[in-house]
Amino acid sequence: MARSPERTEPILHNRLAVLRAERGLSRQDLADAVGANYQTIGYLERGEYNPSLALAFAIADRFGLPIEAVFSPRPFPALSDLVYNRPAS
Amino acid sequence: MPMTTHPRSSRIDRLSQRARRIVAVATLTGLPAMFAWSSFWLGTSVPNLIWGPVSFLLIGMTAVGAIVLYRFVRDRANLGSTSLDERQRQLRDRAWVLSYGILSTVVVALVGVLAILVLGMERVVTLDPNLMSAVALCTGTLIPLVPIAALAWIEPDQPEDD
Repeated sequence: MARSPERTEPILHNRLAVLRAERGLSRQDLADAVGANYQTIGYLERGEYNPSLALAFAIADRFGLPIEAVFSPRPFPALSDLVYNRPAS
Repeated sequence: MPMTTHPRSSRIDRLSQRARRIVAVATLTGLPAMFAWSSFWLGTSVPNLIWGPVSFLLIGMTAVGAIVLYRFVRDRANLGSTSLDERQRQLRDRAWVLSYGILSTVVVALVGVLAILVLGMERVVTLDPNLMSAVALCTGTLIPLVPIAALAWIEPDQPEDD
């Protein structure tokens, strides 16, 4: 996940790109659903912007998932590792 | 709920941060540089043939740069805009804080130079009409551009379209 050289706050990892791809959503679709700009979704996916609690909950709600399934302060294990029950590398 | 439609972007919307920073600096320095160049030119024997194109180029830097910056930023630097999402509002606020810092620095530097000249070196500073009209023109033109240039300066490169 790319990180801006000027950024100082801790990064918040997320699964937005995977979840969008699974559901066939464009950035614009997701942005419209949560009241954000489509570029903001892109910055979130690149890890260059940490959402407010309200936006994070709105996004999790749009995917019908608990917030910790979408955002985490630690890197997510690969979904394939979870599905096939292999320990994360 | 703030929402912005997806403006599939022009080349200006896709300008890299580096390019935007170059445009911002050129925009804010073009007009003052033109006055500095004209002032320098008056004291030299450089022919008009040189003065004209160089002045035109320097004014053009500010004029074209301002158009590019306005086109890139649109209404995102406007404090009254209600169509921004939380990230855009954060960026706008950072741009205004940066603008305040830039303007404060310029004012403090100018006052400091005047203080050194007048108090330290006991020189007499004359504010002639030509200088004051140049200062007024630069101030009136550039101050509204500072927040826009600051926003163009700090906004990171845009994510690729999906």
